[in-house]
Amino acid sequence: MSSRLNSFILASAAKCIGCRACELACGAAHVQGGVSVGSLQGSIAPRLYLTRVEEICVPVGCRHCEDAPCAAVCPNGAIQRTDSGVLVDEEYCVGCKTCLAACPVGAMEMAQIWKDGRPALRKVVDPQNSDTFILEPALLASKCDLCHERENGPACVEACPKDALILVDPMKVKKRRNIEAALALAGVDTRTDFRSGEER
Amino acid sequence: MENLTQVVAIDQAVCTGCRRCAEVCPVDAIIGAEGQPQSIDTSKCVICGQCVLACSAFVSPFDDVAENLPAMRKERGLDADDQSLLFAAHFRSDIKRVSALLSDPAKKSMVQCAPAVRTSIAEEYGLAPGTLTPGQLAASLRRLGFDAVYDTIFAADVTIMEESSELLQRIESGGPLPMFTSCCPGWVRYMETAWPDLTEHLSSCKSPQQMAGALFKTYGAEIAGVGPESIASVAVMPCTAKKHEAARPEMQASGVPDVDAVLTVTELAAMLKAKNIDLTAMPEEEFDVPMGLYSGAGVIFGATGGVMEAALRTAIAVTTGKDVSESGVKFFPAGEGIHRASVDVAGKNFRAVVVSGLANAAPLLEDVRAGKADFDFMEVMCCPGGCVAGGGQPKLLPGVDRADAIAKRRGGLHRHDKELPVRASHKNESVVALYEKYLGEPLGHRSHELLHTHYGDKCGGH
Ligand code: SF4
Ligand code: SF4
Repeated sequence: MSSRLNSFILASAAKCIGCRACELACGAAHVQGGVSVGSLQGSIAPRLYLTRVEEICVPVGCRHCEDAPCAAVCPNGAIQRTDSGVLVDEEYCVGCKTCLAACPVGAMEMAQIWKDGRPALRKVVDPQNSDTFILEPALLASKCDLCHERENGPACVEACPKDALILVDPMKVKKRRNIEAALALAGVDTRTDFRSGEER
Repeated sequence: MENLTQVVAIDQAVCTGCRRCAEVCPVDAIIGAEGQPQSIDTSKCVICGQCVLACSAFVSPFDDVAENLPAMRKERGLDADDQSLLFAAHFRSDIKRVSALLSDPAKKSMVQCAPAVRTSIAEEYGLAPGTLTPGQLAASLRRLGFDAVYDTIFAADVTIMEESSELLQRIESGGPLPMFTSCCPGWVRYMETAWPDLTEHLSSCKSPQQMAGALFKTYGAEIAGVGPESIASVAVMPCTAKKHEAARPEMQASGVPDVDAVLTVTELAAMLKAKNIDLTAMPEEEFDVPMGLYSGAGVIFGATGGVMEAALRTAIAVTTGKDVSESGVKFFPAGEGIHRASVDVAGKNFRAVVVSGLANAAPLLEDVRAGKADFDFMEVMCCPGGCVAGGGQPKLLPGVDRADAIAKRRGGLHRHDKELPVRASHKNESVVALYEKYLGEPLGHRSHELLHTHYGDKCGGH
């Protein structure tokens, strides 16, 4: 495991217009399909959540915490810190929802998880015949995986029409801030706009 | 066909007020404050469905409103357990209506597909935009249970026969000129709602959808040996405005509606999937004769500039006696969404304009109103790019390059045109036979009754 800080997706409330394109793109990125909504195979469960409080709307999602409470509380060891961020392994998730309760930003949901075009299943006693089991779709821990298997990176970032989302590498941000501070101390103003992450 | 539900609507419980729909609405029909649920001014709306394509606010399983899904589906005409995603901006589903028509044992069902359907429906099966599937489309419609699988492109060929004759007649008799195409119902509705004083410039031709429908219930009924009331006439369109057009009270050439129900591309794909019909795994089959035979000229009706090119192919052949596969007329850009050309036909100079995107037509209409129009014939497609970009087309996911997808769909139609043995409408054998056996001649008595209408006064409400 690297000692690097985890990346995460930073949203700008000042830029967000609340269109939910990020949520749609996220949901689509986690099922199989082509370019159209109708081609998606499987139910759409976004892993970031447009949240509206009074005048503010902004998507909220996983911060990929360094000491991730979800990973710490999972009784089954289903949540791991990896080089690609904090990830859920559905194979081990039992759907106990402890992680959901522990997450400080509410990034965790329980949803139908799709892998290779098939939903993750659970084994339940067959109601028709108590000697056998049947498989049915299970609701399991679902949260942002930074689209780590996706060629173009996080789908939400790519989809936002207002560039309100960015994938942040905290170390790069810190280094840039150092440089900006150094220049500022020398009397040159090149600071980054905090809300947008863009040079101004 | 009386249906009081609005064709295109915004669900207030789902709308977030992002107003991305307002950015694409060509007539500023979307009203509401930023961040508040929006509504549609139905007196302006032309039912193009561009707002439906743009809207990305959907009902997520984690939303509170998700509890009302069954009721929301019902309101949209969907089955209570339909699994499709629900968006704020949406159009009325007519799937149930078509299912009912198909299961009615007293009806012979006839279906038509617009050109732009065969270059996009494969997207709903995960394939790339522009993948051409005409043969598989015909096969799928047959599996769905249609008795006759005809085609709108046949009627597009008939449209060329009628519309080019009408244009020549107007030029000879002095007007009203310039003449405007009338195949796009979004455009026709825009004329009726925003430029009512200029509707006489619209060609009196019904759109290909309505011509096909009228012919199904007369010529087609004769072939099938039944009366018009025994025909179920269904259209598959890349367009939401076609749903409204089919319901116009005057579109009843045989005393019953020419078209009983209209499905969009996305609705047809959903119906096929519900019946486990995998379009991409279908064998390639032919459309049924006679009204399923079509030319390349009719195919390109689905992309901007296509009606014009199709008309020129026939006009050049008819006036010079020389058959051409392509008109060779070059159109030059003349402002946003506008192309112009000037061409000599039968020793007369003829000035043509092609407009793509409703909003771009306004300055030209101002000129017509002021008596300053410097053109004779104008093609207008409401949706930017033509029917390949229509509101009933597959809804592209956010992040997908929309312009590229539309260009590919359009490319598909042009490829299809090039691969067909007959590329001009007047050379379509079934069209020739239709005139010989049934209609007589273009603009003749029967054509007038079945294929022409009068726009403006009977504009159906939204
Ligand atoms: S209808 Fe859709 S696109 Fe229009 S404002 Fe509402 S959420 Fe946004
Ligand atoms: S259907 Fe077209 S005209 Fe009507 S509100 Fe939507 S974008 Fe505007």
